[in-house]
Amino acid sequence: MTIAVLFITLFGCMLIGMPIAVALGLSSVTTILLFSNDSLASIALKLFEATSEHYTLLAIPFFILSSAFLSTGGVAKRLINFAVDSVGHIRGGLAMASVMACMLFAAVSGSSPATVAAIGTICIAGMVRSGYPQSFAAGVIANAGTLGILIPPSIVMLVYAAATEVSASRMFMAGFIPGLMMGFILMIAIYIVARIKGLPSQPFPGFKALAKSGVIALGGLMLIIIVLGSIYGGVASPTEAAAVAAVYGYFIAVMGYRDIGPMKGMPWKHEGEGVAAASVRNLFQMLVALPKSVFDPEVRKVILDASKVSMMLLFIIANAMLFAHVLTTERIPHTIASAIMEWGLPAWGFLIVMNILLLIAGNFMEPSAILLIMAPILFPIAMQLGIDPIHLGIIMVVNMEIGMLTPPVGLNLFVTAGITGQNMIWVIKACLPWLCLLLGFLMLITYVPQISLFLPEYIDQLKGY
Amino acid sequence: AVAAPVEIKFSHVVAENTPKGQMAIKFKELVDERLAGKVEVSVFPNSQLFGDNKVLEAMLLGDVQMAAPSLSKFQKYTKSLQIFDLPFLFKDMEAVEKFQQGPDGQKLLSSLKKKGLIGLGYLHNGMKQMSASNPLKVPSDASGKKFRIMTSDVLQAQFEAVDAVPLKKPFSEVFTLLQTQAIDGQENTWSNIYSKKFFEVQPYITETNHGVLDYLVVTSTEFWMSLDDDLRTEIQKALNDAIVYGNGIAAQKGDSDKQLIIDSKRSEVLTLTAEERQQWVEAMKPVWKKFEDEIGADLIKAAEAANN
Amino acid sequence: MIKRVVSQFEEGFLSLLLVSMTLLVFAEVIARFGFNAGIHWAQEVTLLLAAWFVLFGASYGVKVGAHIGVDVFVKMMPPGTHRFFTLVAIALCLVYCGLFLYGSWIYLSKMKMIGIELEDLPVPKWIPMSILVIGFVLLIFRFLQLGWKVVKGEADGFHFADEAEESMELAKELQETALGDEPSINKNTKEGK
Ligand code: NA
Ligand code: NA
Repeated sequence: MTIAVLFITLFGCMLIGMPIAVALGLSSVTTILLFSNDSLASIALKLFEATSEHYTLLAIPFFILSSAFLSTGGVAKRLINFAVDSVGHIRGGLAMASVMACMLFAAVSGSSPATVAAIGTICIAGMVRSGYPQSFAAGVIANAGTLGILIPPSIVMLVYAAATEVSASRMFMAGFIPGLMMGFILMIAIYIVARIKGLPSQPFPGFKALAKSGVIALGGLMLIIIVLGSIYGGVASPTEAAAVAAVYGYFIAVMGYRDIGPMKGMPWKHEGEGVAAASVRNLFQMLVALPKSVFDPEVRKVILDASKVSMMLLFIIANAMLFAHVLTTERIPHTIASAIMEWGLPAWGFLIVMNILLLIAGNFMEPSAILLIMAPILFPIAMQLGIDPIHLGIIMVVNMEIGMLTPPVGLNLFVTAGITGQNMIWVIKACLPWLCLLLGFLMLITYVPQISLFLPEYIDQLKGY
Repeated sequence: AVAAPVEIKFSHVVAENTPKGQMAIKFKELVDERLAGKVEVSVFPNSQLFGDNKVLEAMLLGDVQMAAPSLSKFQKYTKSLQIFDLPFLFKDMEAVEKFQQGPDGQKLLSSLKKKGLIGLGYLHNGMKQMSASNPLKVPSDASGKKFRIMTSDVLQAQFEAVDAVPLKKPFSEVFTLLQTQAIDGQENTWSNIYSKKFFEVQPYITETNHGVLDYLVVTSTEFWMSLDDDLRTEIQKALNDAIVYGNGIAAQKGDSDKQLIIDSKRSEVLTLTAEERQQWVEAMKPVWKKFEDEIGADLIKAAEAANN
Repeated sequence: MIKRVVSQFEEGFLSLLLVSMTLLVFAEVIARFGFNAGIHWAQEVTLLLAAWFVLFGASYGVKVGAHIGVDVFVKMMPPGTHRFFTLVAIALCLVYCGLFLYGSWIYLSKMKMIGIELEDLPVPKWIPMSILVIGFVLLIFRFLQLGWKVVKGEADGFHFADEAEESMELAKELQETALGDEPSINKNTKEGK
């Protein structure tokens, strides 16, 4: 009965278009009022606790802020240049380079649709011009874009870590190999198609040009080194590393690349200017730019955008914690878990059921919301079946990637339709063959836990734990 | 009609297999056995209901009836309970027990009354040890090192007294910070060092026994006074029995966890000579003076007397 | 005019909260790693800033449509039905706010009565906690405003933020600048159509 009221109110509220956060909160409060004698005051206390006692959650706004600075257009272009210079000369190279650019961008950004938009805008048009079919180009990018949440840093992983209390830095490490693997699987598939269809390649620009574009792209790519480096180098905890990443994001975008903000268009070195003179001038200009940033409309817009997204996510999370609180006090996961355990499903059977559930949810909802609702229910069952929490997290993330590509709610589909100017049906068809690849990859990730667990366990071993 | 049973929600933040978790379960069993139909206890472990920071507020709102936060959590409710954080005040758990059960210790239980809470009894975890990434033998070994502490003014002063840097960090971040040596050390009981796996990331543990980590079982005055006298006495009795049981487990677990840590060989356990220990005592003793006004000089004397 | 001042204040304050949180945690790292020191009040203040950020921001989120929701189903309905459901949804949002406002008020009064201070700062605890009440009052105001717009026919739904739509902004920006400095692949961006 309690279960029914809780879920019917939740889904009812969501169907009529209420904000997910409010739907979660209202269904929780209703259930508490009807079935328990907790006071409204203690529910308010619980909500305040959810917003003010979870230090690790702060990694979410920090990473979003850092992504916001690094997702400005210039970073994407530099990454694409580097990717084209590295693999453009192989047959089907431009498509492979697009995948690689998506992977690189994923290492900077925690969001999938942003990856598609940033890389797709330039790469799809570029591929078409070089003689690729447009649907091929669109399909490749929409799929490769999903890597945004698998390759660290990833907002979705942080949300999973928050919902289940597993270590965020271990989740990040765990996403690394699957992310690279998925990228390479896509590239191999592209190579095979390119061979069959005789798709073109670009001339190799030479190692010097490659090195140069690599160095230019490094400013963005340093982010992942800074994040993982400061965690493993003993400088910061994962939450603190996220704050460091945000500060770095500001410096690299405003003072390094100068695509936005008060230093926009200022060259590092004028023609004919000496190195010493340029250094002094740059240093001085940077010191001036620091206070100027406070009033700079572009910088302010980046921060405001990040604020909006972070606040929205944290408000959902706070309400989802209330929801999870109701779930546990009413022993609902326990009830569902014992029901599922009664079916006598083995671990592999449970994983199939879970994948199907998540794929269905992925049709209608966005990843963070799905994880926050499903993780507290599925997690305890998985633990009883002896599934590793990190492995479970990666399976969920890959499911969320697929959800980005399935109608009617698929963020990557929307973005791809937007940048190609095609309709949704066309985009769905273009993505379909690649989506099958992703489904195969999901099976692989589900039943070969070592792919996800190898790196975090190896690092533990290195450190002798 | 029969009146509905009194409901007691007991909320704590640790697992069921810890001494505190076991004590709570024992309490429930005893109440079920002795007060069937009159009182019903439900235990919520693992911060399922509330974390330690919010549980006292929830208690004041009447949504939790019992909890057992560590004594350091009460510093904003009463200054006198800070006495348990003072370094090198008690020489061992026997002295702690003697003081707690004595007249002064019992009087402290009602020191929270003004804020609407009543202490029902002390529950042991054990004596605290120091762990670090370098061997700590004399106070100067700790100088300049970063130690994680619980939020407590006394503990902050304690580490500042040996020129160490006390840092407040949420428990959730401590393991990683110790692992990567972003923080050098921490202080805790044997059972916490074992259960939180700190011994896996801290190469040296010094058996300092420099302080005590105990819990206070509390309830709200409003709830406690609403009970009939007989019922209150019975509940208190059941709780006292459960506490004795829990303290037994705590003592046993302290010893066995210490042995498990030594056997793991991941961490070297150092002991102090009488001389070295004296250096620590002298370095940290000024902390007593600093908090004498807040805690009360007589109370500190009474606690010291428990050592004899 | 007033509208613009209010907007600017809301935006500025929200950004300020996020930036202070970030810088405070960053400062802690610098203090610890660079100067071997701690900032003993940083943790508590950071967390309170987070509470303010979320509870203050929620109402701003309603105003600018930053919250997310599932609107595929209501959007498939005829406009009249869509508006009807939106009004029901807004009414339920108000119920939510009302319940929380009531609970928050009792909680806050109790905290004020007991009168304890923050752990690390000599400030009564109820003062930073007052954002609970402030936040829900603002939220009620924004939902009423939205409801009025729907009644007048100026809006039909919550106008959920669309990550997809926002990403498109990035795409637009890239398309605008792509022609200049990208000789290898982007000369004919428009050919894709
Ligand atoms: Na990413
Ligand atoms: Na979908």
